[in-house]
Amino acid sequence: MKKKVLDSLDKILMLAIILSVLIFILYPFVSVFITSLMENGSIDLSYFSFVKEESYLIKNSITTGIYTTILSTLFSIMIAVYSYTSSNKVKKIIMAILMLTIISPPFVTSLSYIKLFGRRGLVTYGLLGLSISPYGQLGIVLMQSLGFTSMNAILLIGYLNQLDKTLIESARSLGAKTTDIIKDIILPLMGPSITVVMLLSFIRSLADFSTPRIIGGAFNVLATEAYLSVIAKGNIRRAATISVILFIPAILVFVLYMTKFKSVAMSQHGTNSGEGISLKRQGFLYNIMKIGATFFLVWILIQYTSIIMSAFTDMYQGKMYFTLDHFRDSKISVMTTFPRTILVSLVAGIVSSVIGLILEYYAFIRNYKIAKIIDFIATMPYIVPGTFFGIGYILAFNKAPLELTGTLLIVILNVTFRQLPFASKVGYSTLTQINRDTINSVKDLGGHNLHVIKDIILPLSKNGLFISFVNGFTSTMTTIGSIIFLIYPKQKLATMVMFDVIESGKYGVGSVIAFLIILICLMVNGLYFFLISRKRRNKDVSYGIQPN
Amino acid sequence: MKRKSIKLLSLLLLLTMILTACGQANDNNKDVVEPKDTEIVEQEVVEEVEKLDFEGRQMNVVTTSEKYVELFDAFAQEVNAKVDFLSMSSGEVISRIEAEGGKPMADLWFGGGIDAFMAAKDSGLLESYVPKEADKVPSQYRDSEGFWISKGLTVVGFLVNEGLLNEKGLEAPTTWAELADPKYKDEIIMANPAISGTNYGAVKGILDMYGEEAGWAFLEKLNANIPFYGKRGKDPEEKTVAGEFAIGIIPADKSSFDAATKNNLTVVYPEDGIPWVPEGVAIFKGGEGEDIAKAFIDFMLRDDNQEKLAELDGKDGAQMIKEGVGGYDLGLPVDKLIDQDISTFGSMRQEILSRWEKLTEGK
Repeated sequence: MKKKVLDSLDKILMLAIILSVLIFILYPFVSVFITSLMENGSIDLSYFSFVKEESYLIKNSITTGIYTTILSTLFSIMIAVYSYTSSNKVKKIIMAILMLTIISPPFVTSLSYIKLFGRRGLVTYGLLGLSISPYGQLGIVLMQSLGFTSMNAILLIGYLNQLDKTLIESARSLGAKTTDIIKDIILPLMGPSITVVMLLSFIRSLADFSTPRIIGGAFNVLATEAYLSVIAKGNIRRAATISVILFIPAILVFVLYMTKFKSVAMSQHGTNSGEGISLKRQGFLYNIMKIGATFFLVWILIQYTSIIMSAFTDMYQGKMYFTLDHFRDSKISVMTTFPRTILVSLVAGIVSSVIGLILEYYAFIRNYKIAKIIDFIATMPYIVPGTFFGIGYILAFNKAPLELTGTLLIVILNVTFRQLPFASKVGYSTLTQINRDTINSVKDLGGHNLHVIKDIILPLSKNGLFISFVNGFTSTMTTIGSIIFLIYPKQKLATMVMFDVIESGKYGVGSVIAFLIILICLMVNGLYFFLISRKRRNKDVSYGIQPN
Repeated sequence: MKRKSIKLLSLLLLLTMILTACGQANDNNKDVVEPKDTEIVEQEVVEEVEKLDFEGRQMNVVTTSEKYVELFDAFAQEVNAKVDFLSMSSGEVISRIEAEGGKPMADLWFGGGIDAFMAAKDSGLLESYVPKEADKVPSQYRDSEGFWISKGLTVVGFLVNEGLLNEKGLEAPTTWAELADPKYKDEIIMANPAISGTNYGAVKGILDMYGEEAGWAFLEKLNANIPFYGKRGKDPEEKTVAGEFAIGIIPADKSSFDAATKNNLTVVYPEDGIPWVPEGVAIFKGGEGEDIAKAFIDFMLRDDNQEKLAELDGKDGAQMIKEGVGGYDLGLPVDKLIDQDISTFGSMRQEILSRWEKLTEGK
């Protein structure tokens, strides 16, 4: 009798998870496709004519993607190799700087870029006496590279840390030069992970709408055009069509990634001893890596110093002075939106982590075929621009039976399911580390599958759950693309307010909010390091990949 | 070591909060300079109006900027309601309502170019209401059927960075005609009129001033001088202030004059004609707080609140629409305002924007 109850509970749990993924991920996706392809119930492809008429948009998106991929991959390789060969202290500093860019909201860096490198920029004009226009493709490529390099470098460092060191050590003891070791051993070994990093950078560059919007100038890309179609033209169908076009290269790259390189991305979570190798820090190639890495890290630091400076200073007739006015001006918006933002981020972080883990349990421990298909669907939010996911939610949930527009629930659902790809990947790699025998022994002793979840899976996955929670929390705190079309007056979140005040020209107040968002994310991440490092001193922590 | 960094972080956050609180305390001194006479007016009016009480109910507002928070708070306190707002450009408001199947985004729509309000009325999105003091607002500034009313005028001017111009040996432009001179090539920034109500007002004003064909010919020449159009309403002012461009086409109000003083710039009212655009206020059909929104429009039209609004908006007295309401003296030459046809603001919007888009393709 009791077993029957548990059996049906087990079924209900699985069904609930499957249904939630179908409704909150697949259905919005399908809605976008239907909107772009159909008019009054019949197929109509007229909107796709822009592919021909405005082919320059596609060209712009692709070339920008390629340049950004090359630049950010190069920089991230340099940083990774430099970090790999450095002392533990330097490693920690590098990791801290890289983290900074990951936990901060988007588009503030683009604004500080204009301040620093514009026609009257503090660096270009103030220091170097140059008067150059920062707008256009170059600006986009530089800013995107700045944002993506950190993520790439963290992935590469995670990968390098688990390489078998004996090869390098023996080469070294045989007297090989550092340059040769880097060239002949380290770089070739990094091959597969470099490919992964390149693919991810390319997808993310295609999806980024906020950087081109701020510093693109006359240079438009598809993602920005999709956003503008909603904001300026009121043409959601055109936005949906552009999103579909953006989806094609993304899905191609993604399938390639899933089939060829899944193992690479998987392996970077959790397992490793952080001990470095003892290479001689010298040689031509080593120095190039060092210079490249230092240049990049200093650049990040300058940009973030500039944001923090703007939070505390203002200008009067060309003179800068210290002020706390921006803090005062931001008080009301901070008081009203931060508690809500933190709550939404907590919910998104926790719920997505748990759903992700249980989904993977059904897919890979219980081996249900349908759960595997669902697992694939659950990764889709990862590859599309945030705006795609947002537009999908508007189109899917603006009518009965699921009329959710205007509620806080739709915002929470959106950010939660947007984090699911990451949560399920972490869930997967956590599950692979759980010993099958433990699970089997519970079952042999008469334990039910639900007991396995409750007593084995959840407790043993604590660490993985925490990683995906921290990631979900951080990226929800800093997200904007997917919720920008969903927010109503009574549900404003911190990034929206920041977007707002920056739009009204209050750059200083925007910097204060950015600063506070960074602080909160820093605290949550710090808490993680604190809790984990107490338990497992030597384990390295890898962070996830986060789309805009 | 780890523990230390956590402590450090908590300390930082605490410090931030204290700073915020201190900032607040400093602010108290600033409020003293309020003009005295408004208080007297306020007392008189308050006596006339019967006290409304909405028992803590909620009104949602979409507005152009968060600068109106003071006015919303005052209203919330007076009628015991809660007011939440979201800033959005008027084009975005219409787009989102359409996307969401006509469901209203809020109860009140406060600010934004009148063209969007006219379009919303035609789409049946608005609720009609004739406020108490409507008769004190000239009929051209309110809808004859009460679907929208204007809260003031935005006038268009130039923000000029003379330092940059001097480097190139150029003088500050004083007229639109001058602006189209090739010598200013790549020095001018304007925002996309589909996004910015002000810049739509500029385009519409130019077309009304020059007449249709000559107007488009002028815009074509102007377009040659503009390297790209801002994708945010605030772009022209921000980028001129930042020294990225020498001339920005901006809404000329107190904040732009302040920004000019702060950054050694000048605000120029074009001598051959100043385009202007009324900013709308309307109630959405079918919102839960419809009655509160109606009360707000009455509230907004009261003399004391009009003065407050003029202050928040930083408007010259000539930009206010209610008779007898003053504002800042920003030296706005009223006789230079272009003789514009308000009735076609909404009806011609689509046509103007699509022609404009063709003209400026790729920028």
